[in-house]
Amino acid sequence: MKTKESSYYKEWTEKTEQETTKKPERQDGFKTSSNIPLERVYVPENITETYKEEIGLPGEYPYTRGIRRTMYRGRHWTMRQYAGFGSAKETNTRFRYLLDQGQTGLSVAFDLPTQIGYDSDDGMALGEVGKVGVAIDSLEDMEQLLDGIALDKVSTSMTINAPAAVLLAMYMVVAEKQGVPPEKIQGTIQNDILKEYIARGTYIYPPKPSMRLITDIFSYCAEHAPKFNTISISGYHIREAGSNAVQELAFTIANAKAYVEAAIESGLDVDIFAPRLAFFFNGHNHFFEEVAKFRAARRMWAKIMKEEYGAKNEKSWQLRFHTQVAGSTLTAQQPDNNIVRVALQALAAVMGGTQSLHTNAKDEALALPTEDSARIALRTQQIIANETGVADTIDPLGGSYYVEALTDEMEAEAIKYIKEIENRGGAVAAVDQQYMQREIRRTAYETQKKIENEEEIVVGVNKYRLEEEPEPELLEVNESFVNEQHDRLQAIRKKRDSVKVKKALEELKFQAEGNGNLMPYIKEAVREYATIGEICNTLRDVFGEYQG
Amino acid sequence: MNKKIRVLIAKPGLDGHDRGALVIAQALRDAGMEVIYTGLRQSPKQIVRAALQEDVDAIGLSCLSGAHNVLFPEVLRLLKEEKAEDIIVFGGGVIPYHDAVALEEKGIKKIFTPGTSTKAVAAFVEQAVYENLGLKKELLQPPTGVDHIGIAVHSIEQAMTFYGDHLHLKAEATVEVPSEGVRVAFVPVGNTKLELLEPLNEESPVAAFLKKRGEGIHHVAFSTGSLEERLEQLKKEGIPVITDKPKTGAGGYPIAFLHPKASNGVLVELCDPKQKEEGVKS
Repeated sequence: MKTKESSYYKEWTEKTEQETTKKPERQDGFKTSSNIPLERVYVPENITETYKEEIGLPGEYPYTRGIRRTMYRGRHWTMRQYAGFGSAKETNTRFRYLLDQGQTGLSVAFDLPTQIGYDSDDGMALGEVGKVGVAIDSLEDMEQLLDGIALDKVSTSMTINAPAAVLLAMYMVVAEKQGVPPEKIQGTIQNDILKEYIARGTYIYPPKPSMRLITDIFSYCAEHAPKFNTISISGYHIREAGSNAVQELAFTIANAKAYVEAAIESGLDVDIFAPRLAFFFNGHNHFFEEVAKFRAARRMWAKIMKEEYGAKNEKSWQLRFHTQVAGSTLTAQQPDNNIVRVALQALAAVMGGTQSLHTNAKDEALALPTEDSARIALRTQQIIANETGVADTIDPLGGSYYVEALTDEMEAEAIKYIKEIENRGGAVAAVDQQYMQREIRRTAYETQKKIENEEEIVVGVNKYRLEEEPEPELLEVNESFVNEQHDRLQAIRKKRDSVKVKKALEELKFQAEGNGNLMPYIKEAVREYATIGEICNTLRDVFGEYQG
Repeated sequence: MNKKIRVLIAKPGLDGHDRGALVIAQALRDAGMEVIYTGLRQSPKQIVRAALQEDVDAIGLSCLSGAHNVLFPEVLRLLKEEKAEDIIVFGGGVIPYHDAVALEEKGIKKIFTPGTSTKAVAAFVEQAVYENLGLKKELLQPPTGVDHIGIAVHSIEQAMTFYGDHLHLKAEATVEVPSEGVRVAFVPVGNTKLELLEPLNEESPVAAFLKKRGEGIHHVAFSTGSLEERLEQLKKEGIPVITDKPKTGAGGYPIAFLHPKASNGVLVELCDPKQKEEGVKS
């Protein structure tokens, strides 16, 4: 049957037009530079049942071509650059700068002590304070970090996992103090502990209590902060740790299934929490394989949610994802080349239908980005969005024999891995058995050997080297702030009502020993200016620590 | 050399990126060493304790979080406290050049930065440990000086009009090296010398150089010791060489050439002027 004569297509067109009447697209019709008008989406001449089931139109199950009916014709992806270093005050300045430059969402990087639940003056924090992100010890730091930023307008992504509940609680309290109720805040916490055990390393507690904290957040936010994404299930770090694209896809979806199962087991209805699950993938070098990976991920997730978990809400079927381009492909040699790598990887993410995107700065292999290199990174995606025309029709690579075949292959190969993980008892058990860790390690070593044998070319590293490497300008983090941070922490410990803090922490401990939802108690402790170290240590006492 | 080298690969601080540490651990194992990996989040104290317990010859530290300036020297300090400074410490990660230099001055034997081949790391560790144990000649120091700078010219006599008449330098006797197709004149300058190279025939490598690039600087020669072993070490580190075994150069002492693609387009000669009387025993 001719696609355009099918009722499927006609219904889709009708629904889409209803939507665009309410919310017009970016332009009133899109054209090429030669004035050739562009269709919203290009379709095969004839439509089959298989096409509807496996590919479908944009915004239709199984969402292979994208989760929205208008995709980037309606609105570009969110440009979200990860930033944060040193003190809350310095980071606040960088955030305001990025918002001024046209960035549309915030993304907070925390330093390692914060990510592992230590105060800045803890012995374990030696040398790490403010290094890879901003140091947050108490609500006071969070207030300073978000000073002057309207939390009902901006959406904020926080790369925080083991202590995600604490940082989310701080964010909510700052919003409340601004007069913004929790139901209005928008953003994402990473909150994906399984990939921490597998690839990223910022775990605190063992898997079981960690999974409890995660499902506590799911259920608390479903009720109080329904616009907040409660988890960002991340393949990004799995890929950075050295996996290939299939492993990234498979392990991420296997982890996602573990979260869904834990939440269902804790008594939540799948359609209550599933619409707030978000994903986070890597945008890597192999252009078409990356595009196929994103398309396959959407299709796999839709099928899993609908068929395996019986979700009924369309939003539960839709895999929404953030992409960051691959930091590990950036080279310390000839750092300007990284701008080109980033542009191509970002283009793959856009062709794959990402909802938001972080483009890396060219100097990432050397140090934290300077303001100049951070701006070039943002400009790179602005150029893709505004100059190339790739955002003017949906899923432009859909229907390519190559891309469709590769999408099928990615799915088939990933399913093999997911089956293996299920045979091992699911993602939590497989993590315990070090299964994913071993697979990633093997692939990483193979890649390194290929680079050294020049089977894999890295421009500027094992080929096309430069005779003289000019010395790039690097960002230096001001070290004196570490002492200031210690002083601030001392001052807040003196200033706050220590009786109330003690009481809040005791209550948290009592609840942690039981089965109740911990979110309200963490929030109370945060409100009394209990520090992240105090809150996390209280839970350490009850839950113990994971030994990697 | 049958002592098995034992290495502790450690992740100091809170950084969780262990791809590099794991790849290096595997590469050192493949190079025949015994490798113990500490796992994540080790304090300098824990690392030093593990190194002593495991009786290792070397510790490799990996850090990508920027905390290297604090954590690496702390490991050195604690080793000293335990009177275990003989354990070699090397490191890697996202470490800016100036930090790397400063850390090496403090006693980290070597900082490897992104792009280093695993071969180079393995060859370095092996050599450093054997040197330390007195099992091998010391090869890991820099050259002691510039022995000479080679300059390709069409005619030595013509070139000497500038060096002799205007810079008032004096050439030593001219020597012919038929095997290389060159006539050579050494011109001493302070504690080094120029080596003027004139082709003897069209097949001479110097003739080819002149045709391609014209007259100008041809090579730089560094003075070092243990030339033969050093050449083997460089090969292990993955540096391409032109001269497979040292041979006697125009000055009467052993020399060897490295391939310019390893050294930013400069032809590098290594030579051992201390061996002048003996030459190369073949």
